[in-house]
Amino acid sequence: MSALIHLARRISLIPVLVACLALFVLMIMTFCDVILRSVFNSPIEAATELTRILMAVLVFSVLPIISVTNGHIAVDLTDGLFQKFRLSRLRDAIIHILAGVMLYWPVERVWVLSNRARDYGDVTEYLGIPTFYVGWFITIAVGISAVALIVTGLLYLFAPQYLSEPSK
Amino acid sequence: MTAALIGFAIVLVLVLMRLPIVFAMGLVGTFGFAYERGGSIFDERGLKAALSMVGRQIMDTAQDYGLSVVPLFILMGLFVNKGGMARELYAVSNAFLGHMRGGIAMATVAACGGFSAICGSSLATAATMSKVAMPQMRRYGYSDELSTASIAAGGTLGILIPPSVILVIYGLLTETSIGKLFMAGIIPGALGILFYLFAVRWTVWRNPDAGPAGERASWSERFSALGSVWAVLLLFFLVIGGLYGAFDFEPLNLTFSPTEAAGMGAAGAFLIALFRGGLTLGSTFEVLKETTFTASALFAVLIGAQIFSNFVNIAGLPEALIAMVTAYDVEPFVVILMILGIYIILGCVFESLSMLLLTVPIFFPLVTSLGYDPIWFGIVVVVVTEISLITPPVGLNVFILKGVVGDVTTGTIFRGVTPFWVADILRLALIVLVPVIVLYLPEQMGAMGH
Amino acid sequence: AEHTLIISSWAPPTHGINALMWPKFTEMVEEATDGRVTTELKLGIAPPPAQMDLVMDGAADASIIFHGYQAGRFTTSKLIELPGYEGSAEAASVAYWRAYEKYLKDAEEHRGVKLIALHTHGPAQMHTSEPVETIDAVSGLKLRIPGGVGGDVGAALGATGIQVPAPKVYETLASKAADGVVMPMESRKGFKLTEVAQNVYEMPGGLYRGSFAFIMNEDIFADLPADIQKVLEEEVFGEPLSREIGKIWDEIDQAGRAETEATEGNAINAASEADQKAFMAIAEEVRATVLEELAAAGVDAQAAYDMIKSEMAAY
Ligand code: NA
Ligand code: NA
Repeated sequence: MSALIHLARRISLIPVLVACLALFVLMIMTFCDVILRSVFNSPIEAATELTRILMAVLVFSVLPIISVTNGHIAVDLTDGLFQKFRLSRLRDAIIHILAGVMLYWPVERVWVLSNRARDYGDVTEYLGIPTFYVGWFITIAVGISAVALIVTGLLYLFAPQYLSEPSK
Repeated sequence: MTAALIGFAIVLVLVLMRLPIVFAMGLVGTFGFAYERGGSIFDERGLKAALSMVGRQIMDTAQDYGLSVVPLFILMGLFVNKGGMARELYAVSNAFLGHMRGGIAMATVAACGGFSAICGSSLATAATMSKVAMPQMRRYGYSDELSTASIAAGGTLGILIPPSVILVIYGLLTETSIGKLFMAGIIPGALGILFYLFAVRWTVWRNPDAGPAGERASWSERFSALGSVWAVLLLFFLVIGGLYGAFDFEPLNLTFSPTEAAGMGAAGAFLIALFRGGLTLGSTFEVLKETTFTASALFAVLIGAQIFSNFVNIAGLPEALIAMVTAYDVEPFVVILMILGIYIILGCVFESLSMLLLTVPIFFPLVTSLGYDPIWFGIVVVVVTEISLITPPVGLNVFILKGVVGDVTTGTIFRGVTPFWVADILRLALIVLVPVIVLYLPEQMGAMGH
Repeated sequence: AEHTLIISSWAPPTHGINALMWPKFTEMVEEATDGRVTTELKLGIAPPPAQMDLVMDGAADASIIFHGYQAGRFTTSKLIELPGYEGSAEAASVAYWRAYEKYLKDAEEHRGVKLIALHTHGPAQMHTSEPVETIDAVSGLKLRIPGGVGGDVGAALGATGIQVPAPKVYETLASKAADGVVMPMESRKGFKLTEVAQNVYEMPGGLYRGSFAFIMNEDIFADLPADIQKVLEEEVFGEPLSREIGKIWDEIDQAGRAETEATEGNAINAASEADQKAFMAIAEEVRATVLEELAAAGVDAQAAYDMIKSEMAAY
């Protein structure tokens, strides 16, 4: 069990690296686009569509990680109350499992929509990159988030010792 | 309308149960949309329709070109921080203001105002300035309430002081001159800084420990501190100058849009930090990682907010509200007050862009038909939108602070924000009562365009 | 009313699409059905390229799509976008629908939704901040042009493409990220080009025309009573609706032109005879390529082109 969780943590470095690379490329590309356009009058024509793809990559790569590390923006006005009645762990378990389960249907729909785009032959304007690749990527990222949320919720319930961050 | 109000209530309960906002708004928005399209929350066709809308929101929001300013400006702020520039900026602030009680918080507010002049988004302003200012205020022993509140409130200026994403959208929604809107935002923005400075003074007057006075710096110390901020000035000059066409001459012709300014600013900050030896491979990775995490959480909230907005929109809440407003056959000024009241109530739960998109199409025709100036109304809408960003329980700027700082509760921030919120209401009252504050500059421009 | 169609739309609320076209649609539907069917307009539900999915899955009952926003999905829509046609948007829209019925239908590019109108905006002209007086001056300019035929024409003229959605055009021009845009005259008002692109270079017939469709959810239509379906098909959908919407495109083009003429510092430069000839040659090349593309999609491209040309001439 702990070996498995250890492995999951190690593997999670890969999407972080991918997201960081996407962000760095986005920054450099914008810089080069402006300079090339202003000084050399030859902008990167595909800059806009690449920006869109890079954003999807950077946002969704790390979604599974922020989903299970308290990274989502939440309101903590009632934290004291839950602590007082020792319900924090139960609450976190329910929240994680509920969030994970409720993602099933959107994931399924994103998958359907992506394959529909594939069927219609949708591509990006300049480079002709098929848009369903981005859709598949988002499906996988949100799908992994859902599974990770459910697993984390179960850990809260049955094996809290494996959670690196105690429930706040 | 009833369905939308019940939806509101359920979101509030779920959010208070600590369900992340994206899931609370997403869940209620989905079932609410299904109900509106299918007549029941379990209707098969209704659910398919709702999920299709949700699926498209998930895919389209993260791929919205205009939103690329969000990660890039966060990135710029972090690089500015790593390059040691933030420390220098605060050395200067401290030299000039630190000897006053609450001085660093006042400097933070002023710095937020300055940053707003290069950033079109309040969220990005708050995110950037929290990276820059928070450690400094902690170092000088400021209370968490005052520190976080001055950034959360100061950050709201991002959408009022030009450039502003929200003003651009308002201009397009209403066919109002964007150039004039930008000009109109300047004086109310400066007033915002002034009023927030009073809010800081008020906080430290009530509780002197919240923002202790530092040592008074000599004039020679002040000037030498000034000399060390060249990198910050250079960066600001690059971003602002590029935006307003300062480098638009042969053979450079260097100009860029607000969206590109974010990328230029980030790259510029990266190069300066690199040049000054403030970056290693490891710290660059840390900066990039932190940015992607923050951006991912922000986009998630935006997706949730848009799903919920779509439910409220399809449920006809905006139309119902306007029917209520028009039902009262009263003085135009009372209608304005009612609209402001509605905005402040909506501001409790809405994210700024959704609020604008939902309400402007409804209220704008009414307000202009009553004879009010469209430019003036645009600024009023942006000011109430600013207020919504720090109004509990859903104040995005407060959540940004919470997200970036981590070890403070949103309760603490909302407590600290109260005097700033009051300052905002006073400023709003002033703008509503004395429209010339808004209209003076754009009228000076005359027919110049932009 | 017995039935209310939920319309999802984009563009600013004051834009002709929402201020005039959907109200016209509503008027026609109400009149044909004696008020048994009406509509409700919803803005801002999703960006333009998402509209077809929304209608297909029933998130909205009807919507408007701009074919150029979904590269790869539509080929036959390029036919009406070709430069070189002469005539109003009304004439073009009617010809477009007739050519669709006869030649384009079989390509099934709108599969999954019910197509209820096809139309095109007025001729797209070039709007720049610096005056452009000759066609040679276009070469080297950074122009915002939408995808499809517009992009092909821009490339043939030697311009560099800048890719931004229509609502971002103002910002892009104000910051000089682009030297100009190619859009119909109505956008001078709708997107405030009078402020940031004071000069128009006008080519008769335009550099291209944009292709739009009104679409409807299939199940919603199938659920309507048979008599309502019949009357909608006969009196509203197809050619009648396409004609009325085309008329509105002409009308708002006029408003954009009037605004330009009334705004100080704005100028409309008509293309010279020589430039018109030079452009005809370019248009010819673009047309040949596009017709080949259409033929590859299984359309009798030349016949369809000739039909639109003659229908418009006869209108
Ligand atoms: Na700003
Ligand atoms: Na709020």
